[in-house]
Amino acid sequence: MEDKKELGLEQITNCAMCADMCKHSCPTYLATGRETSSPQKLARLIVYEEKGFLEDRQGFFDVVFQSAMCGACKAHCIYGNHDLRDYIHRARSKAFREGMLPEEMRKRVETFMMFGNPNGERPLVEKGTGAVGYFVSCSAYSDEQVPRAMDRIISASKEQVQQFGGADICCGAPLYYAGDVEGFAKAAEKMKGEFEKRGLRRVIADCPNCVKMMTQAYRTVGVDIDVEFIHTTQFLQALLGEGKMRVSKADVSATYHDPCILVNDLGISTAPREILGALGFVVREPVYSRGDTHCCGALPGARIGDADVTHKVNLMRLNELKETAAEMYVSACPTCKAVLSGVDTRDITEVVAERIVDG
Amino acid sequence: MAVETFLWKRRERPSEFIETAKRIVGDDNVSERECDLISYSTDYWLYAIFLSQQGKLPSLPCAVISPRNSEEIQAVLKCANEYRVEVTPFGAGSGVLGGAIPGGGSAVLNLQRMSSFISLDETSLVARFEAGIIGANLERELNHRGYSMGNIPQSLYCSTLGGWIATRAVGQFSTKYGKTEDMVMGMEVVLPDGSLLSIKPVPRRSTGPALKELFLGSEGTLGVVTRATVSVHPLPKATDKQSWVCESIETALDVVRRVLRTDVKPAVVRIFDEAESERYFDEIGSKVTVIFICEGEPDLVALEKSVVKRIAEESGGQPAGENPVDIWLEKRFDIGLGPVLMQHGGIVDTIEVVSLFKDAAKLYDDMVASMKAVEGAVAISGHYSHFYREAACLYITFAGFPKDPLQYYQDTWTAAMEATLRNNGSISHHHGIGYWRRQYMEQEHGASGVDVLRRIKRALDPNGIMNRGKLIEDGG
Repeated sequence: MEDKKELGLEQITNCAMCADMCKHSCPTYLATGRETSSPQKLARLIVYEEKGFLEDRQGFFDVVFQSAMCGACKAHCIYGNHDLRDYIHRARSKAFREGMLPEEMRKRVETFMMFGNPNGERPLVEKGTGAVGYFVSCSAYSDEQVPRAMDRIISASKEQVQQFGGADICCGAPLYYAGDVEGFAKAAEKMKGEFEKRGLRRVIADCPNCVKMMTQAYRTVGVDIDVEFIHTTQFLQALLGEGKMRVSKADVSATYHDPCILVNDLGISTAPREILGALGFVVREPVYSRGDTHCCGALPGARIGDADVTHKVNLMRLNELKETAAEMYVSACPTCKAVLSGVDTRDITEVVAERIVDG
Repeated sequence: MAVETFLWKRRERPSEFIETAKRIVGDDNVSERECDLISYSTDYWLYAIFLSQQGKLPSLPCAVISPRNSEEIQAVLKCANEYRVEVTPFGAGSGVLGGAIPGGGSAVLNLQRMSSFISLDETSLVARFEAGIIGANLERELNHRGYSMGNIPQSLYCSTLGGWIATRAVGQFSTKYGKTEDMVMGMEVVLPDGSLLSIKPVPRRSTGPALKELFLGSEGTLGVVTRATVSVHPLPKATDKQSWVCESIETALDVVRRVLRTDVKPAVVRIFDEAESERYFDEIGSKVTVIFICEGEPDLVALEKSVVKRIAEESGGQPAGENPVDIWLEKRFDIGLGPVLMQHGGIVDTIEVVSLFKDAAKLYDDMVASMKAVEGAVAISGHYSHFYREAACLYITFAGFPKDPLQYYQDTWTAAMEATLRNNGSISHHHGIGYWRRQYMEQEHGASGVDVLRRIKRALDPNGIMNRGKLIEDGG
């Protein structure tokens, strides 16, 4: 099964003959220093694979799975309407069909197949009722502190929210990034059923990637869901704006790390800063922030299939954040939080929850 | 069906060299994989990019070596001399004349792992970087701290500091901030024999011929620049944008010439011919347009603004407001049309030359007419984009849909170069020579000039290992 997005050769050939005008933004290219990973060179290889010019196809698939799939190239594309990731995804699905997945990805897919999520066996999380849901993402589930913070926020704001997650409830992103189009389509259908079963009209997710899957990627496999999806930062910004919680003011500096998917795919970079500002934090910016952010590297096998590249991308981002020498580091993605532990990163949900004043 | 090479055949694998290189930089940092060899097979020489669609590449390197520091480069070059293996330095591959093609199947020395910001000296207004840093990221590091180097070429997002030095590159804001050679204070260079040369970061010194000039424009043939100290400027506090419609290229050149002789230094000055104005500015259409951007301290900018305005008015210029400047600022990095045309069989390229003001208009007329006369030509347009009190750089873009792409490409280039030389111009202002333009070097420098360059090359690189086949014929 191929995804339903029609991808012509003309657009990717433009990309393959561009001067690599987006390469300055590509975290894989910058962290590895390897020309082959730059968007234009990768595009050329994709065209060459399509035209049958490549002899070392394993080498090609290795490069394809080194992309962070973060969307920096799309955000900086001179053509404006081109997303190289669509073509990378198609190449990954070819690799999946031909059994040429990198080890890290294969392991994640196998775990998903067995347990319906990338973490393994785990109990169901369910609390509250209503048409508004809070979906506990797989990385938030592992983290524990993020859902706990969200629970406190929901309780303090007196919003009626149905919390759910765990067990085999997963957006299917591990399959998407591994190129398992058929598996991903099933996961999307299953998720759609989950929302319907729970009678949800609006879903808050703490993970930008989950929101991207539900609002964008599901459509590529023909799954449309009549539910409004928002990220926690949008929910938190509204609560604070409407004065639904009393919060105490902080008096410290905080560096905010823009999660790549949150800014590149969901266009959210102002809300988290406004939240931190409303809480009294002096927000510090790394050299690469907002639309110029760099991917955290994510968990090995999550989006990058090569552990060494994951490590290099992660290290680059950690160093960029460390340079700001802030008193606190904040992100808005539980995966970023997990892999940026080198600077003790907190999720914005926790930061808000900690400043709630009871009563 | 594998890829083919069209300029150089693949060389036999230099096994001992590659194994030694692996010991120097680590196994993971030497690649012979097909994907890497393809990716380092060419720079952005547009004729090669055109052919790359068919799987035809100018040359494939025998290996890609990615060092982390100067010491590793020193060891690799010593080893290259020992085994007589040619080495081509590769920054980000944005050069447009084939300067980074691995000639003769040489090994590529990839500098992209050396791309750090090192330091900023706010007192002296200088900053130090590793040479592999991409221009946009260099600017980001400086902007974040309140400064700019002021070098903003169209390749800002895909070229490196080392590449700028290698080609004597120039940015869009050059009329105020200068060219690469004005900005580079000092540098560290690994010479072809593996020894290290450190050139002090001072604006000038009276200690014999300036060594840094030897490497500015050397295109990787005389050594590998690994670090550089550059001058920086505080970010401007004020900006003024003006545009003027002029009667002719001559009038526009006269406006600019008269502005510059007052010692006013606009950061950006550009004169667009009718064809380029029409392409950029709907509201102006097919008329010669001049734009100015003055920036810096508010008082100075106000003064510069009034001088530019007075001179443009005196010359009969019609004010066209800020909008054309904003449009240019918005579109200035958009190179998207080239690949689209190439996919449909078009041959496209750009040529930049320089002449004194007295010859500037004549050069434009002659160059455009000569290039239009080549069979297959479809569109020729031009702008002047870098200025001096004495001279102007003319930048021509051409596109053709010929029956014989190579013949058209060769004939158009030769027409342009001969028109330049006929009008006392110089054959390159800032793109450099690389592989393709070296055929015109003797006409530019004369036999004795090329001989001087050849003797310098042989003195520094007796085994001819550095970037063979570039800059001058027999450059190896």
